[in-house]
Amino acid sequence: MLIPHPLLGPRDASEFVYKGDAALMNRPDGFADDAPEAFVQYAYQRSNPRGAHRELWFHEQGDRSWLIVTRDTLTHEVLDCQLADPRRAGGSQ
Amino acid sequence: MVGVQTNRGYIGASKVGVAVAGHSSHVMRKAGIELPIESNVLQAFVSEGLKPLIPGVITFGAGHFYLSQSDKGGLVFGGDIDGYNSYASRGNLPVLEDVCEGGMALMPMLGRARLLRMWGGVMDMSMDGSPYIDRTGLPGLFFNGGWCYGGFKATPASGWCFAHLLATGQSHPTAAAYRLDRFQSGGMIDEKGQGAQPNLH
Repeated sequence: MLIPHPLLGPRDASEFVYKGDAALMNRPDGFADDAPEAFVQYAYQRSNPRGAHRELWFHEQGDRSWLIVTRDTLTHEVLDCQLADPRRAGGSQ
Repeated sequence: MVGVQTNRGYIGASKVGVAVAGHSSHVMRKAGIELPIESNVLQAFVSEGLKPLIPGVITFGAGHFYLSQSDKGGLVFGGDIDGYNSYASRGNLPVLEDVCEGGMALMPMLGRARLLRMWGGVMDMSMDGSPYIDRTGLPGLFFNGGWCYGGFKATPASGWCFAHLLATGQSHPTAAAYRLDRFQSGGMIDEKGQGAQPNLH
């Protein structure tokens, strides 16, 4: 499986560490009244879609950048790949 | 709970048990329930038929590899999951290399065997590596899943405990800790100590 790195071009997936659902970038407010429930949802519940999935890959054996890869979990086709940017954070929904 | 709509028609039922390993999230989403599960692909491999060689099942913890021999003589083996979300029923070659390295480290003679076939299965990886046998938020709907890649061997016990829950409405003592809300209550059963990272369990 090749990851089309936006800076380095196509790189083998084995150079990367897989973190999971990109919704993990949306960390809840720890001081909010509903923080306990929000953190259970954040840390443990997964949308686990059958189809397009936005997910975090860390280029550990490369430039050590974090990427948000949109990949079809039914075909492994990579639909989109961008640098993970907190200013453009979003969940898999 | 009034019943289930299937592709063979409607089945009325006041209690429904969901045990659909690999596609638990997909099926439970139809009931509006999100699960603490990620689906990953696990590959398995079979060699050509050989004379009797392996009398039981061998597991190799240092390299994460298992091996047994089928009645037809094929060596059935595998190792780690590929480690990313997948419903594709097929994996990639780096894991094939990793599994064969584990096999060669354990039994160098395996290098002479030829591979006959390989395939991928979808595994429901739970968030602490332990399964769920529990009620759900919908009265009458019960769930059994999240067995990671240990569910096949656990089938007799898991079926017994699930039947007990369905029949009595009470968890079987053996399965009382396998609750869906255990992350909220702090009762997770993380025997490997990996935290909420399903592809590491």
